[in-house]
Amino acid sequence: MNASDTTSRRWLWTGLILTGLFVIVPLLLSLAGRSYFYQIANTIMIFALLAASMHLVTGVAGLLQLGHAAFYGIGGYGAALLATHFKLSFAATIPLAGLMAALIAFLVAVPTMRLVSIYFAVATLGIGQMLHVITLNWVAVTKGPNGILLFGGMKLFDIDFSKPVPAYYLVAVIVAACVYVIHRLSHSYYGNALRALREDDQCADAMGINTPRLKLESFTVSGFFAGVAGALWAHTAGYISPADFNFNVSILILSMVVLGGLGSLPGSILGAIILIGLPEVLREFKAGDFRNIIIGVVLFGVILFQPRGLIGEVSALDFIRNQFGLGRKARSDGKQMRVGWL
Amino acid sequence: MKNRRQLLALGSVLALGTLGLPAYAQQPTYKIGYQLPLTGNTAQYGIDFKNAAEIALDQFAKAGKSFKVEIVFEDSRSDTKEGVAIARKFVDDKSIVGVLGDFTSGVSIASAQIYKEAGMPQLSQTASHPDYTKVSEWQFRNITTQAQEGPLNAEWLYASGYRKVAVIAEQTDWGQTVVSNFADKFKALGGQVVFSEFFNRGLADFRPIITKIARDKPDAIYTGYFYEDGAQFLKQMKQLSVTIPVHSTSASYNQQLITLAGADAEGMKLTATFLPNNPSKNVQDFVAAWKAKTGQAEPGQFPAQAYDAVNIMLAALERAHPNVTRKSLRDQLAATKNFPGVTGDTTFDADREPSKKLVRAQVKNGAFVAVEK
Repeated sequence: MNASDTTSRRWLWTGLILTGLFVIVPLLLSLAGRSYFYQIANTIMIFALLAASMHLVTGVAGLLQLGHAAFYGIGGYGAALLATHFKLSFAATIPLAGLMAALIAFLVAVPTMRLVSIYFAVATLGIGQMLHVITLNWVAVTKGPNGILLFGGMKLFDIDFSKPVPAYYLVAVIVAACVYVIHRLSHSYYGNALRALREDDQCADAMGINTPRLKLESFTVSGFFAGVAGALWAHTAGYISPADFNFNVSILILSMVVLGGLGSLPGSILGAIILIGLPEVLREFKAGDFRNIIIGVVLFGVILFQPRGLIGEVSALDFIRNQFGLGRKARSDGKQMRVGWL
Repeated sequence: MKNRRQLLALGSVLALGTLGLPAYAQQPTYKIGYQLPLTGNTAQYGIDFKNAAEIALDQFAKAGKSFKVEIVFEDSRSDTKEGVAIARKFVDDKSIVGVLGDFTSGVSIASAQIYKEAGMPQLSQTASHPDYTKVSEWQFRNITTQAQEGPLNAEWLYASGYRKVAVIAEQTDWGQTVVSNFADKFKALGGQVVFSEFFNRGLADFRPIITKIARDKPDAIYTGYFYEDGAQFLKQMKQLSVTIPVHSTSASYNQQLITLAGADAEGMKLTATFLPNNPSKNVQDFVAAWKAKTGQAEPGQFPAQAYDAVNIMLAALERAHPNVTRKSLRDQLAATKNFPGVTGDTTFDADREPSKKLVRAQVKNGAFVAVEK
């Protein structure tokens, strides 16, 4: 095995994922010919991004985040207000919404970064609730419980992105790009540093890792991606209200991350696919009231029999390191040593 | 021997069934989608709607029309994510010509964006958000909004001699409209709103709010709540011995209010479109069918609203038959005029808003009764 081997394998897997996302899934969706499936696919991708962004902060950096929906909401409201009040093009509002969420996440993170474990969780819970109450009661700006209607549509370069196929590609491209960045952050020496901080922050500190700074960075970056997801939701749904971003959504995202496997990026995405997809599959089977119970049983079963999640962190890291980014170092005898990350 | 007889019976039933089939097959079947919360926090409303819809559908089937109607119920959990997925699903199903629901304005509006794009008539029994019917020409509602109810109540309170009124409402899109529509009219009449506050739905403790209200000494309290919150509020008013008269909207009209609050509900006044003790035949038929089907007491405002919505849809279908398309059904819905429902006569105006007659009612001796003032 040599270095070019990994490179070619990396391209193979990247190619496979991209073909799946941009060719095979759209092909299957168009064969099914139902806008319903496109809707589900978009919701899954948006929640995959939310789960991936929470994975960075909760899974990798080990900071239990209970207010993630708040940053999702800031992104949603940011995008909706920029589009309706300031008449910005939807393409401009998506990154701006991400930046707004990142800014708020940064401001929130500064005073909470010294907190650890449960204290941090409770702080994020409080902040999440606070931001939700603000969107609900600051009627002059957010229109409170009335929510915001986006009448503008999504037009860019003469393409109407509110139609199912362009909407799918729009969401897929943005989500894929964001997940790639999260992948690079969590599967690298940077990710290792975050994991070190999760395992023992004092030890990491002693090793020369600037732990408060890392926490701050991961929290802000995670907020940015949640904001982007919020903007995507606002534009694809055309209407948002505070109920879309309440505490239940934070818990839903956390469940996705835990179900897939804490610290496992492919796991988080699988978690999103299951927790958004399964209720819809059960709807097809007319499960009725049992829908919610079955989902509860699945969650319970996974925690009981697969406590590390469906794709545990160790196997996920192993896979990604082997297929995407195995670092090598020449040994004194001329052979290659497998070590670290690319 | 016994088995053989059973087999024979089964065989003859099957044979009759197949004989009967061609006759039925000639009758076209139209499908209507109904998105509503059957699970989750608002499930009690969705389940009521489903029961009411099934009563309406049952009566329709028995009436022997030249076509059949089927309703496809989908559970939205009052969750926007699920609501929009259902909307796409209904739109994809070419045999669905019209949609009823959803329960909350939020989910109704988000779904409306999809129905607008696809050209599907949507009739919500409860979406009271001012922007709902503004989404497109495909949205209808069968509930009087606060734009009608608020000014009417303002006039009522003013005519009762009240000049200083406290207003409280739940913090939802609907609650916002309760306060603004009432306050605007009441101030225009020359009255004064001395206190105004919103509370979160499901609030357990109203005492701080009641104490603040009592401090401002208003002549009356105007409230925007549903029956669960209403019962809590009225009980706690009594506990604190605050005896300021309470007025409310049609949303609090539900027998459960009296069940939950008991004697403390006594004296509350409200406007309503539906009273189960209305002697007219269609109301009494509906009340009887409701009691038989659900085993509950009299239906409240919302099931009646859903019952009428389904019947308005069925009547529009009948007018559009045999050329039923989504477009023709929309046009026939828009042409609804003086539809005799249990919640009063319904006519859709140019903005697809219903105008209904509201009656004044009061809780007296454990029942809602119509009053003059």
